[in-house]
Amino acid sequence: MTASAEAGTADILSRAAGIVDLGLRASEAYGRPDLAGRLTATRKTLADPAIHIVVAGDFKQGKSSLVNSLLGVTVCPVDDDIATALPTYLRYGPEFKAELLHEGDPPRRDPIDVADIRKHVVEHAGPQGATANGDRPAGVIVQVPRKILATGLVIVDTPGVGGLNSAHAAASLTAISMADAVLFVTDASQELTSSEFEFLRRAREMCDTVVCVLTKSDFYPSWRTIRDLDAQHLKGLPGVNVVAVSSVLRALAVRANDSALNAESGFAELVQFVSGRVTGGAAQRLAVSAAADVLAVCDQLIAQFETERTVLVDPSRGQQVIDDLTAVKAKVESLRSSAARWSVTLNDGIADLNSDIDHDLRARVREVVSAADELIDEHDPADVWHEIDGWLEARVAEELVANYAFLRFKADELSEDVWQHFRDASGEVFDRLTVYNPAELLAQTEIDHKVDLDKMNLGKQAMTALRGSYMGILMFTMLGSMAGIALGPLAVGIGLVMGVGSLRTEKKRQLTTRRAQAKNAVRRYCDEVSFRVGKDSRDTLRRIQRELRDHYSARADELNRSTSQALTAATEAVKRSTGEREKRLRDLDAELGRLRQLRQQATAVAG
Amino acid sequence: MTLVDRTRAALDAAIGVYRDTEHATRLAVLRERLDQPLRVAIAGRIKAGKSTLLNALVGERLAPTDAGECTRIVTWYRDGHTYQVLARPRAGRPRQLRFTREADAIEIDLAGISPEDVATLEVTWPSQALRTATLIDTPGIGSLSEQVAKRTWDLLAGEEEETPADAVLYLMRHLHSQDLDFLRAFHDTEVSRPNPVNAIGILSRADEIGAGRLDAMASARRIANRLAADDKVRRVVQTVVPVAGLLAETAVTLTEDEVRQLRAIGERSPREVEELLLSADRFVNLMPELGLTSIERQQLLDRFGLFGVRLGSTLLRRGAASTATELAKILAERSGLSDLRDVLGSLFFERRDVLKSRSALLALDALTRAQPAAGSGAVAAAVEEIIASAHPFNELRVLSSVRAGWVTGKPEVVEELEHLIGGTGHATHLRLRLPVDADQEVVAAAAAGALARWQQRAENPLTDHELAMAARVAVRSCEGILAELRAGASALSSVPAGGLE
Repeated sequence: MTASAEAGTADILSRAAGIVDLGLRASEAYGRPDLAGRLTATRKTLADPAIHIVVAGDFKQGKSSLVNSLLGVTVCPVDDDIATALPTYLRYGPEFKAELLHEGDPPRRDPIDVADIRKHVVEHAGPQGATANGDRPAGVIVQVPRKILATGLVIVDTPGVGGLNSAHAAASLTAISMADAVLFVTDASQELTSSEFEFLRRAREMCDTVVCVLTKSDFYPSWRTIRDLDAQHLKGLPGVNVVAVSSVLRALAVRANDSALNAESGFAELVQFVSGRVTGGAAQRLAVSAAADVLAVCDQLIAQFETERTVLVDPSRGQQVIDDLTAVKAKVESLRSSAARWSVTLNDGIADLNSDIDHDLRARVREVVSAADELIDEHDPADVWHEIDGWLEARVAEELVANYAFLRFKADELSEDVWQHFRDASGEVFDRLTVYNPAELLAQTEIDHKVDLDKMNLGKQAMTALRGSYMGILMFTMLGSMAGIALGPLAVGIGLVMGVGSLRTEKKRQLTTRRAQAKNAVRRYCDEVSFRVGKDSRDTLRRIQRELRDHYSARADELNRSTSQALTAATEAVKRSTGEREKRLRDLDAELGRLRQLRQQATAVAG
Repeated sequence: MTLVDRTRAALDAAIGVYRDTEHATRLAVLRERLDQPLRVAIAGRIKAGKSTLLNALVGERLAPTDAGECTRIVTWYRDGHTYQVLARPRAGRPRQLRFTREADAIEIDLAGISPEDVATLEVTWPSQALRTATLIDTPGIGSLSEQVAKRTWDLLAGEEEETPADAVLYLMRHLHSQDLDFLRAFHDTEVSRPNPVNAIGILSRADEIGAGRLDAMASARRIANRLAADDKVRRVVQTVVPVAGLLAETAVTLTEDEVRQLRAIGERSPREVEELLLSADRFVNLMPELGLTSIERQQLLDRFGLFGVRLGSTLLRRGAASTATELAKILAERSGLSDLRDVLGSLFFERRDVLKSRSALLALDALTRAQPAAGSGAVAAAVEEIIASAHPFNELRVLSSVRAGWVTGKPEVVEELEHLIGGTGHATHLRLRLPVDADQEVVAAAAAGALARWQQRAENPLTDHELAMAARVAVRSCEGILAELRAGASALSSVPAGGLE
């Protein structure tokens, strides 16, 4: 079952790669390096799909054990007491290799010894503060030679979330929003707690594929009861199933190569989920998107050849076609200019977004500050400071996640808008190009199909940009760097204040001073956070803008080139002798036949 | 006049002041409480093992336990002459309920009352253990049914001024942000500031930490020590003790039958047993030649857990125990129950008068503040005076300051201070950090030495102010110890140790 799921995944991807290769060869043969470039990028994504699975859950639920058991090798450190503190990214590689990531843009990677992973990943153990060059470690990447990862799977082992209201929880949710799937880990000692459920609910909002993994089923005799209770609780979350597993049994099964024991451990089901639903699903999406690229390329080439054919068949229409094409070319030119509607929409949209996001952030931070002020006014900061500290960090983290979700939503909307405008304009061009061939009109339904695919493909563009900035190695760092901002030297201040005078009276007298100090510290902290996050958001938006602009400019250039070549071909066709025309017509029909065939294949892959 | 007497006098005065008001009954109840056993609440997140621990402490399986979340109503367990269950509805008069005791735990028939409408249940049960302390079982926090969680909150940090419990055992599994929130709510302000004097942390279900390996308890002890040394934890609990609750409960209720079954397992070769006990499912289903039915095995798991079966059968194989009594003793030790009893004795029961007075004074203080009446000013002044002058309260206050990090000094000095004022237990030998069987003369010499040291610290103008204040309290503690030694009959150490036996 597993083997067939894996084979299925590989099959889908190789079929997609096959048609992309054909399209690539065609583009090169017809002298279209621009289209070839587009398909080369598609080919690269297919070769390394980077499908991310985030493993999240509360402290000490057995996340690292689960990851180790899934891979059948001990990579993540497991301890009775000490918990994982840095995210670990496990991906395929021909041999074991580990790198430590440091914050920065781009993040610095230092190779480390595989035996030292533990030292860096667990809390209190490694040099977790700022290192000599001021970079905080942001994660560890480990290459593991395991078949389950070979399809491009990346498993992310995360630190425990520690209740929903913590910075870690917020960081995990950010990561989840970018992931292809989430394994939520809870152990069989008890049913889901309210904070676990809340976390799951929010994870489900951010990611479509979530599974709840019930660990340690070997140790708890009543795991079945717990599983049923959990399933009951999860009824409200569609598509979230509970899978019970035992890492202990799985480890033995792997060592003894015992498939019955493996089935007993519950991992057979989990592996099937991972390689079937997650990897398979992601591969399916990738294949569809690749096929859509091939379709788009075919359509352009077919349109170009069809116009030429029209002239070859009936040279008397030559002038009309040339006139039409010239008009189309003018339109395409305008599509490429910065005054094109899509371009204007994009530029204005990004500017608006910048101010919207900034405003949203400010409003949120302001609310936090005033809530903190209230807290400080209600209590003596000297007594509650260590609590305010944690509270503030968690509150700010929560607001940042909300701000980020807002950004993500708005960026999606904008990307959709831009695509809409581009499609309207280019669709008009396309209609003009294909109007000469009534047969194409009959295939209108197919074009609609293509449009749907296009939408799926293009609508994701903004997400791709976001992934570039947050996903993969950097998804934890936004909040990580925030956590690195110190709350200021208030502790010292309080010590000084309290060094003199009698405890009670002095405490009362200095209370005002302490409150002012505390409020100041909160403001400094929030300022620093807004400053860094503000910069981060602006960078992200700039990246989205660049990404979208490049994407649509490339599409416009492609159209331009198609029109130019059609125009040249039409002009030449008019000049040709009858014999030449007939010869060219035969060639052209053969080429069109091949292209239509490829198009059909691509449609089939797109499903 | 002892602290309790002074508190009682203050209560009497208050009863006079509030004679004809609605508060009169409450005050009478408060006064009665002074002569009743200490009230200890058992709190913690859901499924932390609260009911199981309660059973272990009582030595009988009273509270129902179950794999799901099962304690839904706050339930009091108190000593009495007859077996009786009383429901106190949120509205209306208390009602006596019918109950049965099947499968060990008490099953209560709510007689049609919805659990939401019941404020508390009171189980009266003749029991030696309950004579020392009334135990209060609470629903877990972090429960998916919010209603249940709110009740626990009400009990410990309710809107009402008095907390029904004098002390709390807080069960934590692995430190979780919610745990600390909860503990904080239990502490209030006046008598002693954020306050590690009336709470003990219990690292519960300790056998699960190493997923039931035989050395799981060693791991648990290490974690408990780390937690107990953590500043955040020290602010809110006095110490952290690891307990494997299920094993503790089974240890105090062990039967010969169960020992026989464990022995059957222990007679197999270690390798076979290891394979058999790989998982709970395997234990129930494999190795039919063991001579135990799957129902018996299921029951063994329910009673011991996988860890207990592993440990029990190993102990029997090695001949560390041969009878139920012997095995019970070792299991009680290995489960951490014996340690917990010691800690409870020295931290709670030996200072029960202080804790009970504290509860009563807190309630009085809140009442006089919120409901001033003619003459209540005098009561408030009396309360203030007791709180400010009673030495045990001063000790508690210094202890809180030390734990909150207000008192600073050389680590070894602060540590000595913490012991001297009774931070690790009330008994003289604990205060002076001497062995329990230390010679009278050694004790006297140590006390005199400590007195001299702390007098010097108290008077040294270079001593940090906070430390100097604390030193004065420490001096008073030393004087107290010496006075008792001189009196021959040491009142401090004659307080019965242990308690829940």
